[in-house]
Amino acid sequence: MSVVEGALIYSNLLTLLALGLTLTYMTTAVPNFAQGSFAVFGSYVALTLWKIWGIHPYQSLPIAFVLGGLLGAGTYLIVLKPLIKRGANVVTLMIATLALDLILLGFRGIYAGILGSIIRQPCEMFMFTYLVKYVFGVPDILLVSFSVIVLTLVGLFLLLYKTKFGIALRASVENPMLSEIMGVDVEKTRLFSWFLSGALASMAGVLLPFKQEIVPATAELIIVSIFAASIVGGLSSIVGAILGGYIVGISESLVTYILSVLTNNAGLLVYGKVVSLVIIVITLLVAPSGLAGINWRKVIRWRSGR
Amino acid sequence: MEVWSLILNILLWFGLYVIVSLSLNVEYGYCGIPNFGKALSVIVGAVVVGGIVTRILMAIMGVQGDLVSGSSVVSGKITAIVQSDPVYGIALFVLCLVLAVIIGTIVGALFILPSARLREDYLAITLLAIAETFTMVCYYNPVIVGSYYGVSVPDVFAFVPSSMRYPFIVGVVLSLALLVYILLNRIVNTPYGRLLKAVRENEDVMKAYGRNVMTVRIKTMALGSGIASIAGVLLTFYTLRVQPDSFLNYGRTFWTFFPFLIILLGGAGNNRGVVLGSFIFATLWELVDFYKSNIVSALHLPVEAVWLEYILFGVLMLLILFYKPEGLIEEKPIMTEPIKRKAKKLKS
Repeated sequence: MSVVEGALIYSNLLTLLALGLTLTYMTTAVPNFAQGSFAVFGSYVALTLWKIWGIHPYQSLPIAFVLGGLLGAGTYLIVLKPLIKRGANVVTLMIATLALDLILLGFRGIYAGILGSIIRQPCEMFMFTYLVKYVFGVPDILLVSFSVIVLTLVGLFLLLYKTKFGIALRASVENPMLSEIMGVDVEKTRLFSWFLSGALASMAGVLLPFKQEIVPATAELIIVSIFAASIVGGLSSIVGAILGGYIVGISESLVTYILSVLTNNAGLLVYGKVVSLVIIVITLLVAPSGLAGINWRKVIRWRSGR
Repeated sequence: MEVWSLILNILLWFGLYVIVSLSLNVEYGYCGIPNFGKALSVIVGAVVVGGIVTRILMAIMGVQGDLVSGSSVVSGKITAIVQSDPVYGIALFVLCLVLAVIIGTIVGALFILPSARLREDYLAITLLAIAETFTMVCYYNPVIVGSYYGVSVPDVFAFVPSSMRYPFIVGVVLSLALLVYILLNRIVNTPYGRLLKAVRENEDVMKAYGRNVMTVRIKTMALGSGIASIAGVLLTFYTLRVQPDSFLNYGRTFWTFFPFLIILLGGAGNNRGVVLGSFIFATLWELVDFYKSNIVSALHLPVEAVWLEYILFGVLMLLILFYKPEGLIEEKPIMTEPIKRKAKKLKS
């Protein structure tokens, strides 16, 4: 796997994760701190299916989609909806997602122990890189991750712009109260966004072990990149999340790579998250509402000096 | 004997959590800053001892070599000196505390700078991201505190006989916790405390009254971080090691999530509640730890107790948020001296 290929794979997965985070932020206005755990949940679904039933991780994508979706929907129904009903503020909701993240970490630890005793292999850390095959010199994970993202985007576009439910969903994001008056079931659209968020994260999680090792701290570390991608995109724009995913994903890999080549120090390669953090800070200082919040016409006018 | 060590464990963690949670209470409970990067200031305390003080000692003692091997040599030498000369040990301990508080304060002020103007959700995300990134850099970079290998730290309490060492450390932790409690109570039961609460309740009104919300936030974070780094120093001298991989695996859970749990359990914006919360939490944690072999064997599963504790305390947090968001002790208005006098007058 070359550096560029690795960067593209990582960006595809990050975009899936950022899309999910952005969707739930748009509908419920909660930044989900458990998004990283949703992803690693998918990784464990894939590991279980592969080790016990021999189902190749690529084939487990649909199963992970459904199971991850149920996890996301369950999160909303069991944890967030009751809190929102009680009039909890955004900080309370964020703490609730932190708590959920910790609960998922606990279950993951227990599950890794049980699975490890069944298949007689340690399951705390694993990778699927040995499963990567090359098609015409291109690693198949690159093609698979691209097809997943293209399918997701086409599906999302059709859903949001060609169906009644999509119009209802967009309306409930724009103005929940007004759309409720017009007969839109806002609860349903929220639930759906959490289902989709969990499902997309879980699919990203299935493919993540092809790129990097899953360790107990993976969920906590990847959340920095997910937030970076969403914040660059403005946290409430789907197009922004896609752009943000690619900007952050590619710069995390390439900036560290270029720096390590320039300084001849391979040790720099591990500091990808520092790049994410710098991107977050720059975005917040220069354009706090992200790429989607910038008035591009104004920028162009200012550039051409008029 | 087992019960005695259980009690000591509870008191140790009670003291450490009182320090960290009280400092978080000023930030979150009073000022409303959702500091999801609280762990950073505790880690800074540990890094000051492991990465800065150890280096200074190596230079003074003329120990050559890198930090990982040099630190164990220098710790051995210093521990030998402290055994015969208690003053040396205490001076070193105080030096570490002062240095950690100064650096912690500076780090706290810098930590919030990029996000001091932002809304709560962005603020929380940024603080968490900064803390996680710093943790990760500590883990990967051997120059800071020895990366995977960690750093040895001299035993500044080596003059205490080894059977009394643990009770002595618990005593030090508890007295510092008491000191922090008194200090913070002094600081928040003033007009400044009322200003913090006002910023929490409505930023826009405070802006209209001519207060700079950003400065208030920066000051508060500086204060909170400075205090929390004391806990990092204490923890380091208790374990006698600084291990960056433990920052990575436990930092956020132990020093961000659990302090939040304690505050919400005891009652936000109220220091007595936080002390109560710390005590309940430390007791629960140590009891589960004490009986963990019984619990694990009762479940017939190959589980480590720590995972069960994560689930237990995560669920506890959700239950608090659902059923008792105001905590065990409810917040009361701040009574400064002039207000107390006025209240008395009104009564009579």
